[in-house]
Amino acid sequence: MESSDAELVTRVLHGEVNAYGALVSRYRDRYARYAVHMLGNREDAEEALQDAFTRAYRSLARCEEPERFGAWLFRILVNRCRTSGARRVRRGQTFVHDEGALLNASEEHPAEQTMWREEIERAVGELSADQREAFLLKYVEDLGYDEMSEITGVGVSALKMRVMRACDRLRILLKEVHSG
Amino acid sequence: MAEWGRTTLEMIVDELRQPVQLDESFERRVMVRVRRLYAERRPRRGRGWLTVAATIAHRPAWAAALAAGIVAIATAGVLRARATGQVVASTSVEPVDFVLVAPNAESVAVVGDFNNWGVGNKALAATNHGGVWSVTATLSAGVHRYAFVVNGKQWVADPTKPRSTGEDFGMPSSALVVEDSTK
Repeated sequence: MESSDAELVTRVLHGEVNAYGALVSRYRDRYARYAVHMLGNREDAEEALQDAFTRAYRSLARCEEPERFGAWLFRILVNRCRTSGARRVRRGQTFVHDEGALLNASEEHPAEQTMWREEIERAVGELSADQREAFLLKYVEDLGYDEMSEITGVGVSALKMRVMRACDRLRILLKEVHSG
Repeated sequence: MAEWGRTTLEMIVDELRQPVQLDESFERRVMVRVRRLYAERRPRRGRGWLTVAATIAHRPAWAAALAAGIVAIATAGVLRARATGQVVASTSVEPVDFVLVAPNAESVAVVGDFNNWGVGNKALAATNHGGVWSVTATLSAGVHRYAFVVNGKQWVADPTKPRSTGEDFGMPSSALVVEDSTK
């Protein structure tokens, strides 16, 4: 039977460091998806995710609800992505696509599907960081506005506005593709 | 807008919800960092979990360097090697961490062109942190060649770095670029 998050956290806090590997395995791919879409490339996403896991380990004793380790880790990751994104902006980098994902997609999907995916990646990348964050949390991570507010520290009204504007922007950016 | 409303949004979300699979080495890389933190924390257990927070936090290039990955080497034992070119704000002399995961090793040292390949007992002895061996050296900016020496005799090149073109003494070695952080 699979151990719960709370059980694994307790084992790690009692010195069973290898139990942390089960938590990494449990959340790595799901949270990698958020980081890749938020940061736009796999290298930055992996760096942010590694950093989030490491920070979570260091602060594990401060995880007040071990049964909600995943949510707590996700909050750390969201903050790491914000920091990483801001650093990238300061460096003057532009949003780049996850070339690895596109490469994989081209092997698995027909050309039209790959083009559609590419357009989506590009459109999401053209959203402002705030809008992209809100859109991904709402629709891709399927969070409620209260949860989003708890994670981001942004008010529910502002989040709703960001999501709405993100949808509007995506509609404009994808209009040609959609109509074609 | 109605057409956009659900159908297109659902199509976008379906695409964005496609799984993203990381390289299989990701978990190992995270656990190397975690085990290292654990090993560093153990002697100071009485001071709590946060006592080692600064160890990595003040090293901004560490994560990027770790992203180079870990590759298993099948030799007499199971070894995993990684070297990190880590740059911090300083002059043209830069600290570089060399890390080798070798749980079964009895000793690990680093030799390279920066210490005359260990001649005259100049090899850098790594410290064991629960199977994670590490040593920090300050190297001048530029290209360096190096190798790990396990148990005093087994040379191990870093598989995550380019192999050195002129391998010294016929032994495997790797090339490392140390960046000048002042430029």
